[in-house]
Amino acid sequence: MLDWLRGKKDSGPAKAKRGGDEDLFDEEFQRRLEYLAIVARRVYAGRMRAERRSKKTGAGIEFADHRDYVPGDDFRYLDWNVYQRTGRLLVRLFEEEEDLSVYVLLDTSRSMGMGSPRKIDYGKKLAAALGYVALANLDRVSILSFTDRMEERLAPTRGKNRIFKLFEFLRPLQPDGETGLQDALKTFAAQNKRRGIAILISDLYDPAGFEDGINQLRYAKFEPYVIHLFDPIEVEPPLHGDVRLVDHETGEARDVTITPRILAKYKAAHEAYRKEIADFCGQKQVAYHALRTDVPFDEAILSVLRSGGLVR
Amino acid sequence: MSGAAPTYAIAFTGLTLTQVLTVLGVAGGLVFVLYLLKLRRRRVEVPFVKLWETVLAEKQTTRLFSQLKRWLSFLVALAVVALLAFALGDPRPEGALDEGRSLVVLVDASASMQATDVQPSRFERGRQQVERLVEELGPADRMLIAQLDASATPLSPLSGEPRVLRDALEKLEPTDVAANLRAGLHLALDVLRGQPQPEVVLVSDGNLTSDRFNADAFAGELRRAGMRLSWMKVGRRGDNVGVGAFSVRRYPLDKSQSEVLVELYNPGEEDEQVELELLGDGDTVDVQRLTVHAGERLRRFFRNVSGVDQTLEARLRRADGTTDPLEADDRAYARLPQRRRARVCVVSAGNLYLQAALLLDEYLDVDEVTPDAYPCEGEHDVTVFDGFVPPTPPATAALYLYPDVDADDRAGPIEVTGEIERPFFDHVNRRHPLVQFTALRDVNVARALEVRLADGQRAVAWDDRGPLIVTGRQEGHPFVAMTFDLRESDLPLRVAWPLLLLNSIDWFVQEDAGFVSSFETGETWRVPVPAGLEQVTIVDPTGEAREVPVVEGRAVYAGRHAGFYTVRTPEGEETFAANLGPGEESRIAPAESLTVGEIDAGAPTRGEVGVRREIWLYLVLLVLAILAVEWISYHRRVTV
Repeated sequence: MLDWLRGKKDSGPAKAKRGGDEDLFDEEFQRRLEYLAIVARRVYAGRMRAERRSKKTGAGIEFADHRDYVPGDDFRYLDWNVYQRTGRLLVRLFEEEEDLSVYVLLDTSRSMGMGSPRKIDYGKKLAAALGYVALANLDRVSILSFTDRMEERLAPTRGKNRIFKLFEFLRPLQPDGETGLQDALKTFAAQNKRRGIAILISDLYDPAGFEDGINQLRYAKFEPYVIHLFDPIEVEPPLHGDVRLVDHETGEARDVTITPRILAKYKAAHEAYRKEIADFCGQKQVAYHALRTDVPFDEAILSVLRSGGLVR
Repeated sequence: MSGAAPTYAIAFTGLTLTQVLTVLGVAGGLVFVLYLLKLRRRRVEVPFVKLWETVLAEKQTTRLFSQLKRWLSFLVALAVVALLAFALGDPRPEGALDEGRSLVVLVDASASMQATDVQPSRFERGRQQVERLVEELGPADRMLIAQLDASATPLSPLSGEPRVLRDALEKLEPTDVAANLRAGLHLALDVLRGQPQPEVVLVSDGNLTSDRFNADAFAGELRRAGMRLSWMKVGRRGDNVGVGAFSVRRYPLDKSQSEVLVELYNPGEEDEQVELELLGDGDTVDVQRLTVHAGERLRRFFRNVSGVDQTLEARLRRADGTTDPLEADDRAYARLPQRRRARVCVVSAGNLYLQAALLLDEYLDVDEVTPDAYPCEGEHDVTVFDGFVPPTPPATAALYLYPDVDADDRAGPIEVTGEIERPFFDHVNRRHPLVQFTALRDVNVARALEVRLADGQRAVAWDDRGPLIVTGRQEGHPFVAMTFDLRESDLPLRVAWPLLLLNSIDWFVQEDAGFVSSFETGETWRVPVPAGLEQVTIVDPTGEAREVPVVEGRAVYAGRHAGFYTVRTPEGEETFAANLGPGEESRIAPAESLTVGEIDAGAPTRGEVGVRREIWLYLVLLVLAILAVEWISYHRRVTV
C-alpha cells in the first residue's frame, strides 16, 4: 500500500520563484525536497507492494502518467509504443481507484515556539517534506494545525504541483494557545471520516497526558505516526542558581535553586518521559520517532522513512 | 615570669574607630540591600514545568539546607565588608606603636657635599646611606628626612612608610651654601620632643657652620629630651683649591675700566699649581698660572680691566688639567655696575673748579645756565646750585655749593644759625658712599655756615662746631649741601674734590660706587629693582623662575646656587651674580668627629629586625582567601 512511497513519476517540485526574504521554504529547501523524494522512492521501491493494504482494484485502472523505467519495475507496465517512437523506456502509471489519505497534524501550541530553531519551524519543514513526498506519490495530503482544538486546515489535495499550497498554508502558522491533544484529535477524528495515515508532529507537552490524544486516533481507525520534537536545550537547560521557572504555555511558576544534581535529575526525568511515550507507542503498535531539532531536517526525514514506521 | 603583661589593645592609625564603624554600617547596609535584591529570582521560561515537579518535590527536603546556605552567603559578605573596614583603620597593637625609634635624618646639602672624593659624590653617597637606613627601619620605627643647607627643610612627615621616605629622598638636591647645624638641631628638637626613642642622624662630611650657635645650650636640650645624636660620615680626602673671594669695581674716575680682586684658597696640606682664567662678558680676559701653597689665601688683582661691560667670571683648574674634588668653588661670578648717562644742570655764575671736575666723567651730559636763566631747559637727573638758591625747590636731586642765606636764615633746605671760622673735617662718615676714596682730614676751609640739622637730615662730614657736608630729602628728592665756599678752601686743589662731586652725582642716580658685584649664597639678598614694583621674577642659574616680593625697592630672595641670576621686570631684565657663601666650604676635609657641646655624635642605632606588624595586610589576605574559597565553591556548584 502506501503508494506515495513507491516510485512514481517524479518531476520534482515546481521551481517557483519566491521572494528573497528569509523563507522556511526557499529554493534550497525545495531542492532538498526533490532529493528526498528520489531517495525515498529508491529506499522503499521494492518492498511496498505486498506490504500495504490497498483498496485499488486490478482492473479498470485509469492511465495517469509516464515515468522513466528504473530497475525493479514490472516489465508489463513498460510502454513499448513510446519506446518504439522515442527509444526511451517509460513505465505507465495508473491512478488508483481509491488513493491513500495522509493527514499531517502539526502542533502549534506556545511551547512549540521555543528552541533554536523553533520547534514549530522545524515541524513546518517536516510537514512540508512529508507532504511533498506524499504528493509526489499521488496521495491525498491534508495538513492541520492544532493546539487544544483544531485550528487551521488545508483541505486534502493531490498532485506534486500542489506543494505551494502546502507552503502557503504552513507559512503563516504561529505558536499560540495551550496543548490539548485529546480534545483536538477527538475533533479531528470526528471531522475527517476518510481514514488514512495521521502523522502527529508535536512536542507532546500536554499537562493532561499524551496517551488519550493518540488513542483518539487509534480508536478512529487512523494509522497514527508520532513524531516527537524536542530541543537539546530542553534536555539540558543551561541554568544555575536561584531561578523561577515559568511554564511558557500555562504561566505556572515554580521556584527552584538549580544545582548540578538537580539538573541531572531533570535530565533523567526528561529521558523517562520520552521513554514513557516510546513504550506506550510500542505497546499500542504506533510508529514513534523522537527528533532533536538540531538534526538537519532532511537527515531527520530520511531517518523517519528508514525507520520503517510509516510502513506496515 | 617577669616583665610587663603583654598589651592586646589595638590602636587605629588609619581611619578612626568612629570612621571605621561608619564605613562598616554603610557598607553593611549596602550588602544587605544587595542580598535582598539577590533573593529576587531570575525568571526563566520553560516549555513544560510539569517535568520539573518530580525534581522539585525532592527539593523540598533540601530547603532548610538551602536557607542555611543563603544565610551563610550573607554572613560571608558581611565578614568581608567588616574585614575591609577594619583594614582601612590600619589597626596596630598599641604596644608596637610605643616601641619604635623616632628618627630625624638631616642630610647635609651644602657645597662641600658636592665633592667627588667618593663616587659618585658625597651627596649621592649620603643619599644611599639614608636609603639603607630606610630599609633597616624596624616595624614601629618612624623617620623624618630633612635637607640641611642654610636652613633645615623637612621633606617628609614622621613616617614609617618606606615609599613616603623614598619619595623624600628623591626631593633632596645639593646647594651652594654652607649647612647650618643650628637650624637642623632646632628642627630636630621641635619634631622629636615627646616622641619615643628620639634620635637625630646627621648625614654629613662634618663641615657645618655654627654661627651664633650655643653648642652647650643645645647639648643641654638634647640631653633633657633624651635625644641621641648620630653621625653618618661621608667623604675621604681634603685636597682642594677654590676661589675664596671675587670682587670687581669700576674706577671712580674712569668708569670704563675696572679692577678685579680674586682670592684663591688652598685648605689642603700640599701646594697646588693652578690656572686662573678671567672671563669678561663670556670672553677670556686673562689667564694666569699660580702656585697656591698649603693653607694659603692668595690674592690677585687684575687692574685696568677694560672692554668688559656686564659680567665677570673666574675659573680655576689645576695646571695639569685635572679637576679637584670640589668643582663648586672653582668658579666665581661678578656683575659690573651698570653705566648710564646722567643729565646734570649746573646753575652757576661761573666756577672753573666745578666745570673742570664735571669734565672728568664722560658719562655726564652737562647743561650750564646762569642763575638768571634758571630753570634749565629739558629734563635732568641732578641740578648743581653754585651759591644760588632757587625760589622753589627743584624737581630733581640737588647739590648745593655754599648756598645763599635768605632773610629767614635759610640756605635752601638747611637752616643757618651763624658762621664757623676755619672749620676742619674733624669727623667723616667713612661708610657713606659720598666720601668713598676721599681724603678730607687736612682740607683747609676759611669759613663755613653754621647750620642746624632738621629731622631726616644727616651730616656726612662735620667740624666739632657744625656740619660741613649735609644730606637729606627735599620735596621727595635727595640733596647734598656743602656749607662752605670752594673758592675759600683748598679742596678744589685736591683729588678729593672731583671724587666728592662725582660720588654725589652717582649717589643721586643710584650708581653706587659701592655697588654689590655679587651676593653670597646662604644669605637673604636684597636685590635693587626699579621703583614701584611689588613683585619681580628671578631666574636662578639652573633656569628655575620664582616670583619674589619687593620690599622697600628691593627684591628679597635667598638663593642657594652660585652663578648669574636674572631679574625680570616689566621694564626689562637685569643680571646679578652670586657666589659661594662666606663659610669654609672650600675646606672639604671630612671632620674627625662631630660634637655638639659635650655630646659626641655616635653611629646610628639599628632598627629592630622583625615582621612588620601591619594587621591590615593580614585582613586583606584573609578577605582574598575567603573570596577564593567562595569562587571555587561557586564554580564547583557547591554553594549554588
